[in-house]
Amino acid sequence: MASLSPPEEAAASSYHHRRSKRYSSSTTNGVSAETVPDKRHKISLPPPPPSSSSSNFISLSEIEAEFSHHDPAFARINNGSFGCCPSSVVAVQRDWQLRFLRQPDRFFFDELKPNISASRAAIRRLINAEHEDEVSIVDNATTAAAIVLQQTAWAFREGRFDRGDAVVMLHYAFGSVKKSVEAYVSRSGGEVIEVQLPFPVISAEEIINRFRTGLELGKANGRRVRLALIDHVTSMPSVVIPIRELVKICREEGVDQVFVDAAHGIGCVDVDMKEIGADFYTSNLHKWFFAPPSVAFLYCRRSGGGNNLHHPVVSHEYGNGLAVESTWVGTRDYSAQLVVPSILEFVNRFEGGIDGIKKKNHESVVEMGEMLVKSWGTQLGCPPEMCASMVMVGLPVCLGVSSESDAVRLRNLLRERFCIEIPTYFRAPGEGETDSITGYVRISFQVYNKPEEYHRLRDAVNELVRDGFKCTSLTD
Amino acid sequence: MAADDRRNGDLTNHNHRDPKKPRLSEFLTESDIRSEFAHHQTGVARVNNGSFGCCPSSVLDAQREWQLRFLRQPDEFYFNGLRRGLLASRTVISSLINADDVDEVSLVDNATTAAAIVLQRVGRCFSEGKYQKEDTVVMFHCAFQSVKKSIQAYVTRVGGSTVEVRLPFPVSSNDEIVSAFREGLKKGRANGRAVRLAIIDHITSMPCVLMPVRELVNVCREEGVEEVFVDAAHAIGSVKVDVKEIGADYYVSNLHKWFFCPPSIAFFYCKKRSSELDVHHPVVSHEFGNGLAIESAWIGTRDYSSQLVVPSVMEFVKRFEGGIDGIMERNHDEAVRMGLMLCNAWGTNLGSPPEMCVGMVMIGLPSKLCVESDEDAVKLRSYLRVHRLVEVPVYFLGLRDGEEGVRDKDSGVITAYVRISRQVYNETEDYERLRDAITELVKDQMTCQNLPPV
Repeated sequence: MASLSPPEEAAASSYHHRRSKRYSSSTTNGVSAETVPDKRHKISLPPPPPSSSSSNFISLSEIEAEFSHHDPAFARINNGSFGCCPSSVVAVQRDWQLRFLRQPDRFFFDELKPNISASRAAIRRLINAEHEDEVSIVDNATTAAAIVLQQTAWAFREGRFDRGDAVVMLHYAFGSVKKSVEAYVSRSGGEVIEVQLPFPVISAEEIINRFRTGLELGKANGRRVRLALIDHVTSMPSVVIPIRELVKICREEGVDQVFVDAAHGIGCVDVDMKEIGADFYTSNLHKWFFAPPSVAFLYCRRSGGGNNLHHPVVSHEYGNGLAVESTWVGTRDYSAQLVVPSILEFVNRFEGGIDGIKKKNHESVVEMGEMLVKSWGTQLGCPPEMCASMVMVGLPVCLGVSSESDAVRLRNLLRERFCIEIPTYFRAPGEGETDSITGYVRISFQVYNKPEEYHRLRDAVNELVRDGFKCTSLTD
Repeated sequence: MAADDRRNGDLTNHNHRDPKKPRLSEFLTESDIRSEFAHHQTGVARVNNGSFGCCPSSVLDAQREWQLRFLRQPDEFYFNGLRRGLLASRTVISSLINADDVDEVSLVDNATTAAAIVLQRVGRCFSEGKYQKEDTVVMFHCAFQSVKKSIQAYVTRVGGSTVEVRLPFPVSSNDEIVSAFREGLKKGRANGRAVRLAIIDHITSMPCVLMPVRELVNVCREEGVEEVFVDAAHAIGSVKVDVKEIGADYYVSNLHKWFFCPPSIAFFYCKKRSSELDVHHPVVSHEFGNGLAIESAWIGTRDYSSQLVVPSVMEFVKRFEGGIDGIMERNHDEAVRMGLMLCNAWGTNLGSPPEMCVGMVMIGLPSKLCVESDEDAVKLRSYLRVHRLVEVPVYFLGLRDGEEGVRDKDSGVITAYVRISRQVYNETEDYERLRDAITELVKDQMTCQNLPPV
């Protein structure tokens, strides 16, 4: 735990940035770990845990030390919901919090803005955005959705969009986003079209075709589709959506704006703004990019009418552009937004940096998924190439998951009896289907995970099957 | 050690408790307090608690525990701990402020967020035709800049108009403020318009004055104002807050300013109505439609730890004589005493009489400093921060045509004020440093125009 006494400070107020010689000094994706030009503002990382390894990269025991604050009793195979944060980054965050507490006025006047800019600059490079103005930092994807949808609502209210014009979204969009669409779009006169996607998914083509159909519906009767809201990786059930193709289709079909909700984006899938081509793109950094709760970016393409966006919490920065508005939304703890350069140092301790981590996570989650499928005699929710670091794995039919509340209660049972943290999903049987798989779990794989955790899940479910367990026996 | 024993009334101390560990029943000593705020930068006269507040180490420790609990097993925390923790905080606050029902109390980040919530609602009423174009929002001219921008963003944009009431300053009585406000409401109703919202500060920020908020709300009711929003960013921990007695429709106060919470947390009180209240958190989550308190309890994955420590803050304030009431009284009395010390030393004035101050006081700066603009005020503030290690906000008072202004002992017009704050960690030396810094500037014939660069 960081001490509460003031950090050592040289007379000239300069901070010495220590870097271990063992840190990989190569750049990854063209992003150097040294992103803050003015060292005076840089906080040094705490010393890395000792290692006997001669490798340049982080060792297994160092990783364990970085995540030693995780509850050791649990098989924590749900990184997708709330992410994780290594202790080195937590320590840097504490430093930032202390700097504010120490002398908040000076922090506000001299340090906050340049260091948020440093984070934004780091993100800009990571996501291949053209210009820093296009990168705003917000709390989370939920906030980003409110920002984009508020802009849509204004357009309806101010008559730039006709009543009844459509907003198209996926049926599997996140619950909060659906409510946001209701609050902002439906309330101001927009029509909402939900595109049903198949699940389990056989191929990307299925999704593309269904989406095209959804767009056609949106355009019916001479309406315009004003916004397409597409997930990059759906949450539940979790599938990687072929968004490059979907964005192209949107352009072909004359959709005004495309907003990609990539809550699970950065650190999970490839996020290249120019390549994806959306008008708006948001991703949480606290899910797969090792940030503490909470920090996300909202990318707004310059040519995409981005000047119309405003942060809903209006401060004195109103009118100075979304990125600047977002740097000050009243007195807050901004420390989570300031650690991005430190996160780059962390990920660059891994072979291949963030790309290496993504690749290994993907390979591992598929391997674990297939192990479970084999043991339970079920199936994956999608082909391996349509998942990233999460995959849906069918539960044995005999467990009798017959409703959403069954799924929730089963999840609670796994947590309480087996100390396994895993989200469950109820997939209603289609018409005419008998004996289909109605229950799925969503497993995640992140650098701190180990095969034993998935073996525990495998064995727990097998035990339930052996005991003749049925979800109907569960009460709240 | 023996002295401790005698004080505890027990010479033969069979209790093998570590004598250095304070009993919970004993009040904090001066050295305990210094230790609670040991993380404050030493050597700085931190007389600006009003801007960003403070947080003692015991509360920071409690916050860390909540943060670690999330990091340790976030799902378990989310499903089993978060809501209960938030409800515990809301319950403490609800009873502190005399709300009828805990449902009336929501937790948000800060007053800026609450303003957005109220103004979004007002904006919707205009957009949806419930209010007529040109209907007004009335506020004081010194309302916080963020609030004014929020009005621009949500009300002016949809056709509402605004009336700004000039706060008399320096001010000598509540009546001056109440009459000015009544005039403002009349203006707001001119030409058949309706006043849809009045925004009243409980304690204005700059310049800082304790407002007669009960009277002002009564005037609003008399004059048929539709809704009253009290922006009380500084109130809780500064002044007694009784929301029923004040009688506003909306009332917000930050807890990280004067109530020892870490950044950031505010409570937002919305008086219960017979019909459902159309207020919503702008960051919409799956809780949309379940009432503002529930909506605000989940606005996506966030660090909610600062909202969970309110019970720990109560433990902290109980360690002061008289609890929070004792703290408020002593802060007020000391701030006034220091204020008088400064205006005597500088030959200037207080911005308002002691009964219209809280733990903050406005003191006129010597005219010889020649503060002639907002930029000058900022320059002076930076100079004080960098060269004198004094942190104090400076307010430039632009006089309007015909206004005579108040003169100091050198017969110059007083054009600027400092706002001093007094919180439990402050010491007399802090204010003496400020006193001497200004006195020396004047002695050296320094003005804002020839201050050394920072």
